[in-house]
Parts: sequence; C-alpha cells; structure tokens
Amino acid sequence: MSTTPTAGAETTPTPATTPTPSAVPTGASGPAGGVSERTLELVETGPAGPGTRPDEVVVALSPAFGTFFHRTIVDVPLATVLRETLAGIEEQGAAARVVRFFGGSDLARIAHAGAKLSGSGVSIGILSRGTTMIHQRDLPRLSNLELFPQAPLLDAEAFRAIGRNAAGYAQGHSPEPVPVRNDFMARPRYQAKAAVLHLKETEFVEPGRAAVELDVRIS
Amino acid sequence: MSSTLNGPADAAAPAAPRRSKRTELLEQRPVNRDGFVDEWPEVGLVAMEHDGDPTPSVRVEDGRIVEMDGRTREQFDFLDTFIADRAIDPAVAEEAMAIPPVEIAHMLVDPKVPRPEVIRIASGLTPAALLEVVKTMNVVEMMMAMQKMRARRTPSNQAHCTSARDNPLQVAADAAEAATRGFDELETTLGVVRYAPLVALGLLVGAQAGRPGILTQCALEEATELSLGMRGLTTYAETISVYGTESVFKDGDDTPWSKAFLASAYASRGIKMRFTSGTGSEVQMGNAEGRSMLYLEIRCILVTRGGGVQGLQNGSISCIGVPGAVPSGIRAVLAENLIAAMADLECASGNDQSFSHSDMRRVSRSLMQMLPGTDFVCSGYSAVPNSDNMFAGSNWDAADFDDWNVIQRDLKIDGGLRHVEEGELLAARERGARALQAVFAQLGFPAITDEEVEAVVYGHGSEDLPRRDVVEDLKAAQRMTEDGITGLDVVRALDAGGFPELAAGLFDLLRQRVAGDLLQTAAIIDREGNTRSAVNDRNDYAGPGTGYRPEGARWEEMKRLRFVTNADNPEA
Repeated sequence: MSTTPTAGAETTPTPATTPTPSAVPTGASGPAGGVSERTLELVETGPAGPGTRPDEVVVALSPAFGTFFHRTIVDVPLATVLRETLAGIEEQGAAARVVRFFGGSDLARIAHAGAKLSGSGVSIGILSRGTTMIHQRDLPRLSNLELFPQAPLLDAEAFRAIGRNAAGYAQGHSPEPVPVRNDFMARPRYQAKAAVLHLKETEFVEPGRAAVELDVRIS
Repeated sequence: MSSTLNGPADAAAPAAPRRSKRTELLEQRPVNRDGFVDEWPEVGLVAMEHDGDPTPSVRVEDGRIVEMDGRTREQFDFLDTFIADRAIDPAVAEEAMAIPPVEIAHMLVDPKVPRPEVIRIASGLTPAALLEVVKTMNVVEMMMAMQKMRARRTPSNQAHCTSARDNPLQVAADAAEAATRGFDELETTLGVVRYAPLVALGLLVGAQAGRPGILTQCALEEATELSLGMRGLTTYAETISVYGTESVFKDGDDTPWSKAFLASAYASRGIKMRFTSGTGSEVQMGNAEGRSMLYLEIRCILVTRGGGVQGLQNGSISCIGVPGAVPSGIRAVLAENLIAAMADLECASGNDQSFSHSDMRRVSRSLMQMLPGTDFVCSGYSAVPNSDNMFAGSNWDAADFDDWNVIQRDLKIDGGLRHVEEGELLAARERGARALQAVFAQLGFPAITDEEVEAVVYGHGSEDLPRRDVVEDLKAAQRMTEDGITGLDVVRALDAGGFPELAAGLFDLLRQRVAGDLLQTAAIIDREGNTRSAVNDRNDYAGPGTGYRPEGARWEEMKRLRFVTNADNPEA
C-alpha cells in the first residue's frame, strides 16, 4: 500500500466542500414549463446511511455534480438530468433518495456504493458529464445491471427511462433494458473533452469523506 | 471599396468580420469534427515528450534491481516493484542501460542486427530508458523496426462481431462471414451484459461455420470472461486490462499480482490470453500522476511481460480519442506497439476503435501498423456495420472491406483479408445461422425462425432483422450459466442437430487446450488447421529480400477484387 508521492500533487484542487446553489435563479423560477432553464439546488442534510424501504432506489451523484458542473458533456442541464431520473422512479411508484459521494470519481465505485446504501439494493450512479449506470449491490463492482457509457447520447428522455427501469428492478421486476444508443463518432469528437471533464471532477474528490444525503430542490 | 470589405453600412450593429470562402469550406471538412485539446502536462495530458517523466537509471546489487529510474527500492510503488523483480533481466540491465538510447534505436532500425539481439538488450531496459529510445525515432524508423521486431512472421488480423440488439443470430452470421474473409480471431461484447453467454455461443458457432480453427472471445467483466473461457464457450481472452499507475490499478480492485494470477488461471486451462492496455487510459481516468501517456503505457507493457503473459493488445485501444487529440499522439501509439514487440510479446496493435471523422486520418493512423505488419494489424476491425459495433465503433468497418483489399493489393502488403465472392459469403452466413438455429433447438432455447435466418443471410445490420423476444432470450442466457452448459454441450448439440463436421471442428478446437500450443507467443490456427506461433513461424526479417512477403497462392488471392478488367474478356 505504498503511496505514490506525486499523485495529484501537481494539480491545485479547488474542492467545493459545501455545495452551493449552482446557478443564479432566473426570473423568479419562471412560468411552469417555461423556457427559462431550471435551477438545481442540492442541500446536504447529513451522513447517508443505509435505507430501509424495500422499493428504494438510491441516486448516487459524483463529487462535483451540480456544484462545479451544471451541464453534461452535451449541455443537458444537470437539473434536467436529476428531475427526469427522479420522475422516472416516481412514475413507477418506487421511492428515491439522492446521495453524493466524495471518495472517488469512478462511476462503478459511485454506483456500487450507492447500491450498498439502497433499501432495495438498486442504485443509479450519475457522473457530472452524464455517464450513468444502474447497479445492484449483490453484483461485482465492475459488473452492473445497465450501463450507459456514451454520455453524449443521453438526453432527458433517456434519464427518465433509466429512472423507470431502476425502479422496476427495485420492485423485483425484470424490465426490458433501456435501448442502448450507439454513436461510433462520439469518441473522436468527445473523448478528449471527456478526459478533461473527468480530470476536473477528480480534483473535487475528497478521499475518506463519507457520503452525504442531499435534499434536492429543482425550480 | 470599404463598403465591400465591411459589409452593409450599418452604424448600429457592428458587422461580423467577413469570412473567407476557403476557411468556411475547411471548417466543414470532416477533420474539423474531431476533438483536439492542448497539452496539459500537470495531469499527464501529453503523448510522449514530457519533462515530468523520470530520467533513466538502474542499479543492480546481488542480482537484484535496487534502483530504477531515479527511485530506490523504498520509493518504489507496486508497479516499480513488479517491473524490477519480474520484467527486467538484472543480468543484462547494467550492460543495456550503458548503451546510449540513440544507439539502441539504430539497432532497431538496422536489419543487420538480428531480432534476438535487440530482444536481449531490450530485456535490460527500464521504462524510462525504453521511452528515451523511441523518443529518438520518427514514425518511418519505428515502422522499419516493427517489421523486424513483431513476433510472428506472418501478419494477421482480428475482427469485432457484435450486434446493437445483442442478437446472437446476427453475431453468428457475421462471424461466419468474417472468418471467410480471412480474420483469424473474432471477438464480441454486449450492450446488455446478461446476454453474454448466448452471444458468445453465437460467435463460437458462427466462427467455426466460417472456417474451423478461428479463435473467439467475449469482452466482459473479468470473472465472467474467465468463466466463459473455462466452460469452453470462448477460446481466447483479451480484455484483461492493466494500467500504468497504482491508483488506477486500485480503482479496478487490482494489482499486477492479481492480474498475473488471473493470467495463470487461463494458462491452467490451456486458453490463449493477452492483456490489454494503451496510452491515455490513466489520464482518462484522472490519475496519470503527471507522467506522459507513453511512459505509463511502457509500465503496462513491462507488467505484461512480468506477468508471464504471451501478448498484449495495445495501441491506445478504447482511449484513442485522447492521444489522437494531442500533438504526436499517433506517433506515441506506434511507439507503444513497437515496445510491446521489443518486449517479445505478441502485439495486437489497435486500429480497433473509431478515431476520426476524416477518412484520411483513419487511413494514415492505420498505415503505421498495416505497412510493417503486426501480429494482429487491427485488434478489432468491425466486421459489422459500425452502427452495430458495441465496442463503440472501430476505425474500420464492414463498409471498408473493399478499400482494405485494394490497399493490400496496391502496396503488396498483407493485412490478412481477401475478397470473397458473394455466393461464398452467403453460403457461409447461412451455414452459421443454420448451425446456431440447430444448437438453439437442441438446447431448448427460444426458437430461431427460418424467417430470421433468411433475413440475416441477406441483411447488413441489426435493423434488417426481426426483433427477438429479449426477455425470453435473457432467460435462456441465464439458464446457460445455471445449467453449466459447456463447449462440449455445444459440440453434442451441433452433432445431434445435423452439423457433424462443425461438431468435429469445434471438438478439435477444444482439444487444443490440452495440447497447449495456443499458449505460445502469437499463436493462431491457420487455414490448414496448423497452430502457427513465434515458435514455428518466427519472424526472420533481416532486410530486403527476407522475412514475410505475400507470395504464391496468397498473393494470387490478394490480387482478386470485386471488379478487375481482364484482357481475355475485357467487356465483362
């Protein structure tokens, strides 16, 4: 377990220790369904413990989701990402709980940690750039129920479908997997940008800091 | 004249600067849809020339490396320890490290210096020293070196066969076609991982229907991948990833020792296996420790050698968008392939992932490996349309078959493929599809209908096929695991289902695991059914007139294209 002396030393981390309201509220939250962009406020309510509801889905967020980052790699607002995911879960009649992980920026780690906290054992892990995974606590960490590796292809509708399916698994059903989209030119266009975004998100990792539960306010 | 230059005179709105039509045209070119980024040295977003990389050094005491690249044993991380103890020959280290890097580069390029001598010297070089050697070389020199240094004399090629709907029938038919076209190894992966056993079965059966002896693998989470191999549903493995920093290794719950243990599990069953790595993965995962991509990749290459594994898939692989976006990145990719060959490993050299919107960049990137020849020029040419490629797209796909064949013929270089007449392709596709239909029926899996078979024989991609009942298929996939269905059960099903020759071919392939010949470096089974590896097909390149050159029947086969005018019948 020797430590590498240079790990992360050259970077200057600017951790957002307490999530701050992410965006300037626009026009008194605007008319319902209006064109102005939704705002997302994530308020820490305390340590995230194990859930008790058997139909619970934990939505596990990455360290800088909604704080440093406000949009996915293709500019889907993170307010929309979370709203649609939660709506998908609720639509199926399951319970949702949102937590944030600080200990790493790796999606499998975040999603699997979320699954371990989930009352049903099912979680959805989401990175700031949009990469998403449905996980289950009894699976190996590097396996999953459904993986959506190509963040540039995930839109609002996809996040709602992911929420619905996670809820389905939590309720003990075997939903048909959300169709995986494939754009073989996503890599040439976005991979290097994704690397830069990931390096940024990694600067917000706080090793050893426990997960927190979040109160979500979307206006 | 000023009004022409500045646009309509409108005092209120400042006019946008006038654009050149040529600039506008250039901006519409495919290459400008690619992503490029500036170097960011602090986090390792640099291909291969980086002040943050260590300076080469070595000190040996009592036959043990006690200092390497400026770090003493107490300062080693676990990769340093593994490399120093397992990958570098302490008996050669001080001799090799005393040779100036540029001189070793000369040895690589000079055909008069035999390959075994370069291998011997390279076995004593530290990661930083290997980096210094390739930094002195341009791509033409690296290609010269690769021609001599690859392990197997005869180059080969490998294909992806996947389906956007994880349709096992599509995978079977495309595997049969890919095998007929000349690929020696085929791999698949999944959109929905639970489909894996069924799709691996489709690939196995389809490949043997194309030609007996094709090796197949299914890229999955490592325990599942091993289980499929042990059960004989796959016949090689490749997706065993190693990384160049300790933190990224740990993110995967792994160490060099755990990977070596996994490698020995495959070896214990006589299953061919190689590791996977590539420039860019550490920076992509956010833990490059301020080193260049190539320095970290060299550590991966040496971990592979230290683990006793016969080969490596490298060439950036799924991270190609990262080196592809920085200066000299594609040169670094060739350098990593070359260093794998210098480590005496089989090199499956990438060209397996979508890399650019520009056809010119796609080809120039691949010529680096295609011209000198490597053990597998592509470690995944998409034998299906890229829209069906579940490895997220390859640099080459099914629409490029004819281009590939013409490039081989133009330059008289062997990229492993051949043109096949449509009748022969259709027959192979039908044989693969019918064989899988029979196996499904024998095993009591959801029926493959005649309508599906006809659609897949004549179709191009998954959109051309009737939808299968995914939930029912997934139950069958689960049953395969629960019932412990093995390759031998597939042999029985083929035999009972009316395909005794295919059954015999698959049985022979499974029997290879007992012989163990496929554990030799760079092993493939050729069209005559012989195992061909660096042992019995050793690269003997020693300059002009030596080494592998397409000739005889193979060259005649390479000359054939879809449309060629012939003097005997010029109007045909």
